[in-house]
Amino acid sequence: MKYIEFVNKLLKQEVSKHDELVLFGQNINAGSCLGGLTRNLKVKENSKVINSTNSENSLCGLGFGLLIGGVNSILFMKQLDFLLLGIDHLVNTFNIIRNINEFKSKSSFTIMPIIVDNGFQGPQSSLNNLSDFCSIARIPGFTITNKIDAEKIISSELVKPGFRIICPSQRLFQEEIIEPGKLEYVNKENTVFQYSAGTDVTIVCFNLSFSYGFELSSRLSKKKKFASLFTINSPICNDWSKIIDNLKITKKLIVFEDSKSINTIDSSFINDVMEFCKLDKKIIVKREIGEHWLNPTSDEIPIKYDEIINQIL
Amino acid sequence: MLTDDKISIAKEILKNRFFQICINQKYKEKEFKIPIHLALGHESIAVAINKIMTEKDNLILSHRNIAYNLARLGVLKPILDEYLLAENGLMNGKLGSMNLINPNQGIVYTSSILGNNFSVSVGVSLSQKIRKYDGITIVLGGDGSIEEGSFHESLLMLKTLDLSTLVIIENNEWSMHTKISERRHSINLQKFCNAYDIKYVKLEGNNVFEYIETLESLRKDCLATKSPICIEVMITTLGDWTMKTPEFPNGKFINYHAGPSPNIDLSQGLLPIRKTNEDPIYVLENIFGNLDQIKKEVLSESENEL
Repeated sequence: MKYIEFVNKLLKQEVSKHDELVLFGQNINAGSCLGGLTRNLKVKENSKVINSTNSENSLCGLGFGLLIGGVNSILFMKQLDFLLLGIDHLVNTFNIIRNINEFKSKSSFTIMPIIVDNGFQGPQSSLNNLSDFCSIARIPGFTITNKIDAEKIISSELVKPGFRIICPSQRLFQEEIIEPGKLEYVNKENTVFQYSAGTDVTIVCFNLSFSYGFELSSRLSKKKKFASLFTINSPICNDWSKIIDNLKITKKLIVFEDSKSINTIDSSFINDVMEFCKLDKKIIVKREIGEHWLNPTSDEIPIKYDEIINQIL
Repeated sequence: MLTDDKISIAKEILKNRFFQICINQKYKEKEFKIPIHLALGHESIAVAINKIMTEKDNLILSHRNIAYNLARLGVLKPILDEYLLAENGLMNGKLGSMNLINPNQGIVYTSSILGNNFSVSVGVSLSQKIRKYDGITIVLGGDGSIEEGSFHESLLMLKTLDLSTLVIIENNEWSMHTKISERRHSINLQKFCNAYDIKYVKLEGNNVFEYIETLESLRKDCLATKSPICIEVMITTLGDWTMKTPEFPNGKFINYHAGPSPNIDLSQGLLPIRKTNEDPIYVLENIFGNLDQIKKEVLSESENEL
């Protein structure tokens, strides 16, 4: 099953369960339904689906107003960069709401913008880093990268008291959904996922880079080397304990981070790790920002897997 | 309206003014760490809105919310304690002045960001509709806030979603330290409302009894028609002063914006600040002829608040 079909299937299941739930956003129930993300979403009779006006800032305010009024809602957005227009609410409105106990425990508001990370949308749609939004006001945020985290995050974070941002990846829409096999561990905040428990290498993937880490892990297995594979699904995560424990065994770290901005979480992760672990080898795979980085071109990071394997082993 | 009701309403206005003068006094004496935007001159519309609200209605305010918070609560102490950031303050010292809410009295959101609260009011109003609450949402903004895109986005959304909301624009002709004429071309709010097919009503003159009558009717109207109504209230924020600096040796007019008003003093009691219809107390004096006894009672009743 393709990534977008799977995420849509999970959304359909989840939104049909909840009372007094408002789904809203531009064209969520029309045309391509945001590339298939919101196709055929059916809600209960006491709920509502709204194809909204083109008012991103005010749509964010509307969601917070619904939360104050005790109604759950999900705002779907075609591109993460559209959410820049709503930053005022993400910071200022959210800061009031979470300071009032009766509001923060009352109902749910989730924004689900698609991270446009295929690279062909042009310079205005190059923003691909969820951390930029989450760090500004310590907003809970989650990326969806594979079958297991999609199931876990949508079933437990999509509709629950409070506010958060959940982002699927446009680059993965038409790819087969990655099935990591076994979930070894997930913390209670659903911010750290571990999919394999090898003792040779520790691989940690940030933002939407899981596909690279998964591919590397598979190639290592073919060479009878086994990795512990982690994804950090939340940009405001600082729970590294499980990874640090693992690194004390493997002493070899490979980090994937695919964001284009400077404000990335892997830097603080590496600082924390270095404080607690003595590593034999460390490879950081990040996007190279060349002079053409804003041109419409593939956002796929060319990974030299064999080179990485040779270096790390 | 019965005479006793009118006296009670007059008392509310006088009390609102007195409480604000008390806060101004403490502000001058530097008792507060937080910024406060007084609303001297806003008492008529604040008391009128308080009167028309039912327990099913929601009120959403801006940074200049003091007159409304005082009108809804009716007492000073919890608000004063909130301004002093005390744990026994109205919101446990968590919100201060510019974001002060009071959910028990229907004040569910207050924003210090110009225009930010309009869209939140759309959500609050939509929640009333979804939950089939038979109430309205009232949202306040100033003439500065209608310059924000969010105001127009929200009007469109309120109309599109058939929401029973009173959008009240307090037009005091100033935004911070600039008059409308100093910062922009005039805006014909009525024409904007016409464009969105939203009913527009203008209130002026500070007659609280006329305001209550009009607002009660508009409340029923917006509930029945499931449509927003925009009300522009002409207002003067009192407490201005003349600032003398080397650049302005003859003095420059400073309209009240924030902070303590130096020319207003507790010792002046409940005398009108300005002897025109811009001052709700002057208007009350003209309606009642003599307010001395009512003022005396208000001062006596409010004594314990300090």
